[in-house]
Amino acid sequence: MKTKKLIFRKIIVITFFIFISTLFLKNVIAVEPDEILKNEKQEMRARIISKNIRCMVCQNQSIDDSNAPLARDLRLLIRDQIKDGKKDYEIYNFLTDRYGDFILLKPPLKLSTLALWFLPFLFFIIGIFVVFKYSKK
Amino acid sequence: MKKHILFFPSIFFILILLIFFYLLTIDRDPSKVPSALLNKNFPKFETESLLKEKKFVASKEFKDRIILVNFFASWCNPCRIEHDFIKRFSNNKKIKVIGINYKDNPKKANEWLKKLGNPYSNIALDKNGRIAIDWGVYGIPETFVVNSDGIIKYRHVGPINKKIYKKINKIINEN
Repeated sequence: MKTKKLIFRKIIVITFFIFISTLFLKNVIAVEPDEILKNEKQEMRARIISKNIRCMVCQNQSIDDSNAPLARDLRLLIRDQIKDGKKDYEIYNFLTDRYGDFILLKPPLKLSTLALWFLPFLFFIIGIFVVFKYSKK
Repeated sequence: MKKHILFFPSIFFILILLIFFYLLTIDRDPSKVPSALLNKNFPKFETESLLKEKKFVASKEFKDRIILVNFFASWCNPCRIEHDFIKRFSNNKKIKVIGINYKDNPKKANEWLKKLGNPYSNIALDKNGRIAIDWGVYGIPETFVVNSDGIIKYRHVGPINKKIYKKINKIINEN
């Protein structure tokens, strides 16, 4: 009986540590030391932009997380453009002109993506309607 | 009353199943992204040439004829697989085949071409991959068809196979 309790306690402690360590996993990035800009503000901007840009090679990762050579090239390119004084939207436009909207991890709100953005709400409303209408009795 | 409730959801469910089944069976690869450059002017660039002493100036090379642009490298295995098809394209007098050597060692590229044969009328060197980025390239080999007005008509990602070879020939004949 006692050993059972001990094992149970061990499992709880281990899962707790696994959980805690996943919190730190978020900080794992692919940016290499030689890429980092000296100007902290510019580096912050570069990091935020790279988090929104899809790695076209791996497709479900941002270029900020990816070790693919193309992701590194794009990270360097973004930093070059920031150093050249380009604004954020100009950098996004530069990338979408070449790779299309797919390179943005978040699809932009456009006429062609209206359904994508608003259908979930529509289904939610229909769902509520159905539940209320048929659950009265 | 209860039957009435079940009728619509089941129809809806079957409809969704049919849509999924359709998407599964049609010939489609979701990892292949359509090019943002289709029906636009080709991105201009100037760089060194692998074959000639003279500089490679895209606006001079891309003129009057249909151009087949092929991104390749000696380190890229799929490029070797499609090489025979590129050679076949070079026999077509209607088009000019231009290679863009992506992040490669020129020496190795030359050896590679000696061994397998050179189908390219000129080869541009893209040492740091910036030209490829301008073309929206994300995985070589990639092949583009540029018409005689300098408009990109087609892009294929990955090695050319029989089916794609036929498709590109059709596009060449249409332009």
